[in-house]
Amino acid sequence: MEINWLKVLGILITPVIAFIVGVTYGGLTRIITARIQNRFGPPVTQNFWDIVKLYSKKTNIQHGVMQHLAPVFAITASITTLYFVPVIRESTVFTNLSFQGDLIFLLYIMVFGSLGMALGVGQSGNPNGAIGVSRGLSQMVGYEIPFVLAIVAIMIQFKTTNLNDLIAMQNNFNHWIIFQSPFAFLAAILAFLGMMGYAPFDVVVAPAEIASGPPSEFGGKYLGLMMTSRSIFTFAKLTLFTDIFLGGAGDFVTLVIKTFALYMIPVLTGIVNPRFRTEQSIRFFWAWPTVFGILAVLIVVW
Amino acid sequence: MINDKYANKIVDIIQNFARKSSLWVVAYGTGCGAIEIPPTMTSRYDAERFGIRGSATPRQADVLLITGYLSTKTLKRVIRTYEQMQDPKYVIGFGSCTINGGMYWDSYNTIKALDQYLPVDVFINGCMPRPEAVISGFIKLQELIKEGKANGAQKYKENLEWYRENQRKVIKNWKMPDYNW
Amino acid sequence: MFSISGIFITTFVSGLVAFLLHHSVPKIRDWFSIVIMGVIVYAVWELPVKANLLSFKLANYNLVFGNTEYGRLFALIVAVLGFFAILYSKDFMEGKPRLGYFYMAFFFSIGGMFGIVYSQDLISLFFFWEIMTWSSFLLVIYCCKEAQKIGLKYFVFSAIGAYSIMTAMVVLYSSIGSLQFADVFAGFGKMDFWSQLLVVVLLLMGFGVKSATMPLHVWAPGAYRITPSSFTAIFSGALSKMGIFGIGLTLFKIASATGFYPWVQEILAWIGALTALFATFYAVFATDAKTLLAYSSIGQLGYIVTGLAIGTPLSIAAALFLTVMHAIFKGMLFLATGAVYYRTGTTDMTKVSGLIRKMPYTFLTALFGIITVSGVPPLAGFSGKWMLYESLIQSNHYFLVVVIFFSSTAAFLYLYRYIFSLFLGQEEKETENVKEVPWLMRIPMLLLALATLVFGVAPGLLLHPVSAAMKYLGDFGVTYQTSVLFNEWGNKVDMLTVANTIGVVFIIVTIIITIKGYRSTRYVTTKDIHTSGEVPTENENLTYAVDFYKPFERALGSVLKASVDKIYNATGRILEQSFDYLRYVYTGNGQTYAMYVVLFLTILVVFSELIFGIKL
Repeated sequence: MEINWLKVLGILITPVIAFIVGVTYGGLTRIITARIQNRFGPPVTQNFWDIVKLYSKKTNIQHGVMQHLAPVFAITASITTLYFVPVIRESTVFTNLSFQGDLIFLLYIMVFGSLGMALGVGQSGNPNGAIGVSRGLSQMVGYEIPFVLAIVAIMIQFKTTNLNDLIAMQNNFNHWIIFQSPFAFLAAILAFLGMMGYAPFDVVVAPAEIASGPPSEFGGKYLGLMMTSRSIFTFAKLTLFTDIFLGGAGDFVTLVIKTFALYMIPVLTGIVNPRFRTEQSIRFFWAWPTVFGILAVLIVVW
Repeated sequence: MINDKYANKIVDIIQNFARKSSLWVVAYGTGCGAIEIPPTMTSRYDAERFGIRGSATPRQADVLLITGYLSTKTLKRVIRTYEQMQDPKYVIGFGSCTINGGMYWDSYNTIKALDQYLPVDVFINGCMPRPEAVISGFIKLQELIKEGKANGAQKYKENLEWYRENQRKVIKNWKMPDYNW
Repeated sequence: MFSISGIFITTFVSGLVAFLLHHSVPKIRDWFSIVIMGVIVYAVWELPVKANLLSFKLANYNLVFGNTEYGRLFALIVAVLGFFAILYSKDFMEGKPRLGYFYMAFFFSIGGMFGIVYSQDLISLFFFWEIMTWSSFLLVIYCCKEAQKIGLKYFVFSAIGAYSIMTAMVVLYSSIGSLQFADVFAGFGKMDFWSQLLVVVLLLMGFGVKSATMPLHVWAPGAYRITPSSFTAIFSGALSKMGIFGIGLTLFKIASATGFYPWVQEILAWIGALTALFATFYAVFATDAKTLLAYSSIGQLGYIVTGLAIGTPLSIAAALFLTVMHAIFKGMLFLATGAVYYRTGTTDMTKVSGLIRKMPYTFLTALFGIITVSGVPPLAGFSGKWMLYESLIQSNHYFLVVVIFFSSTAAFLYLYRYIFSLFLGQEEKETENVKEVPWLMRIPMLLLALATLVFGVAPGLLLHPVSAAMKYLGDFGVTYQTSVLFNEWGNKVDMLTVANTIGVVFIIVTIIITIKGYRSTRYVTTKDIHTSGEVPTENENLTYAVDFYKPFERALGSVLKASVDKIYNATGRILEQSFDYLRYVYTGNGQTYAMYVVLFLTILVVFSELIFGIKL
């Protein structure tokens, strides 16, 4: 079998790029939050140093094999998701494995990490962690409906489930799906708010209520790995949304602009909002976002 | 893997820099001093500039901040919290009460000197110390970390017997898991 | 040996022999059953595929048995799962009373299922259907006093199902004049509209009872909970598949010749989806592990019914794929739950917790099971779900796919609850002395877990027999490669790439995180957790197990209060009351009865012209 070295290069450096971008976004988010709160805020490299510090902790504890493996599940899901999303359009290096999978596969592989994390949290035996997982799963059931409605609307409109085909159809500014199917975008972006877990949908971690919930028993290298995974996953999700709705990106500058613009939606919503209770957030997702999703499907059908 | 002396040193410098610039605080709001923490953290004084951030559980934390007097009942919980933290970890004694008992110097149920029971890296003087003082305390701790001198955890490990003896003296119903690292 | 009659005779005779052995030499009873079951698996595998293998005349009716690709798929499910269950039973059932009875009923139900999948005429299908129902009924009431009511419910619903099948047979025979499949399939199109509709509805109702489709599902949770776990694996894994088998036959061999076929498809698909949705909701709030799995089973069968009902090649492939997968994973999960029951004596999820370090193999099985059920790649559940979604989208069932997807997501809730409550969480003092189950119980569980991995990486292995079975159902072709799935738009998922990616990343990161700070990484007990500095005492229960999904319950509000069970109970009460009034007619007084006779004769005389057309 002939090995395409450009592909191999892509496989190797895509996670690194995703990590760097994700970490920088994290730092920028903290600065923007600070500025809105009339503060100065930490340096932009703050998240990076946090992760380095967590990795250089001298001692670590775990409550068993599942907890040991939980961050591994998380980062596996993040990196696999990243590999199956075309990062740069029509590029040999950065499309990675995106021709081998499709949207429904991505929906499921994205859950893989949460499932592993939930298992690890379960083994830690901390009731706060279990409460967090229970809330998180309930909320997931909430935002999954509008999200699936949006995805279904797009899939039946363009008669494909492959991301590369979707990107190819949005070759022009007017053809972006955000303009072609605005209701699908609305439903998906509202679901995205829940997916990112910023306020008002941050019941899962809720540090003041349940002591940061799921990660409450994770420290040191485990928390470091989780933060790494979160950075990569943020980037992967943003790229996925860019690919679906904003026509992907031809180069890195466009990608950064588009993903950052998308990322600001949950961040800026988060800064100015208090926290929903779990049932409130579920009901929120089952109200307007679901209506938008149904509208999106109905518009496509007729 | 890396046996070179200089390489080790570089790794040490990087690690110490990371530790210094990211301090996650579990603020044990034991006494009245806890009221100074919110202004320190929020817009007015903004401790996040220095990478100082609150953390919800001791598992994730680097710094244990004892804000004020400690009654003997709370001491037990504080010790437990300290022992659940991961190495390297630092303790900041906050306010006069942690140094000499402060206004509670003759109280029957508060401890007078915190460093009898836990290895304190930095004391912040005052009753209350203002947020400026708190931040300067943190910066002092950061300097110590950068130089590799903030090794209270090691001191605690080495002198565990002595600390335990002191702790047992004030805590009557001693029923704690072993501290074994 | 490898003839159909051989299989039947071996199964039923060994049932009797096992019963007799129990009363004479109980030592060899278990091993005898295991060996026989192994032989049967081999025989089913080797049985040639031929439509007419055995036929004989019984009172003017031709009874025909044959092996089709479709039947073979189901027969293999039954045989393999039966073998695993009986392997598991040896230790699991040890020391329980009435084991001869257990083994006899076990073998008879297996034999009944073989009869159903091999029969080529409705008479023998019905005959074996009844054998299966009866023997499984015997196992439902095997356990205890509590089982009586549940057994009654199971029996009533089975009877409803059987009578609908029988009525359908009567209608068919009166218009076609033969009950052999060949004649029925050929002659059905010539029947008039109303009898066609009647037959299809009755048959779907009859088979729907066994596959626990929504309005007819109420027997399932209780019956699954009360049977011994080794049989529940069969009950949910194989026996419920007989309903699917029948629905497949009805839809594609009988109903497809009718004009109202698309309507039947649509309605059945929605029934399946709603079954999946509501069963999932009930499963989320179940507190008993077996009840939870029972509702989960109902829900999963809902997907299969939907897949069959849509009737595109991909959806049938998905349905049959899920049929096999459901047999595997529900078998696994019930066996794992049985293992927990075997060691702790309860399946109540609020009582057991933290078994992972004591029963690692059982945990591994349960883990593979829940990953497969939830459909997360790289295990095999994903392939089935993927095909189902794709087929639903491509056959323009947009809202159906959302309902299915939603219930599939909600399934995460109960699956996590299941594994969390039993295996994770706080390790309590009560389960201190629990050990892993014996090897004979571990082997079936681990083999089934391995199967999910193999079929996950190479779904083509399973799609091969599935597509052969689809050829029998009609002219359905589905494209696949050993590890690549295609949808109708030509998009694909390469499971091998997926599995490789996941595997490589997982292993590399695992190695890194294990090596990094290996010496300074400590294991601490689950009592050593962050509890705001408080030291929990030995007996303090910190497990979060009661009202696990309270927020979700609040969000759903009054949706959950609707229960089909209540409707049935109300009907039952009304009937009971009306029969109570009927009792007043029978006073027990001879003179009253004599008066009835006189009254009856008077009516006859007075209205004779009206009734008989003759004047007395």
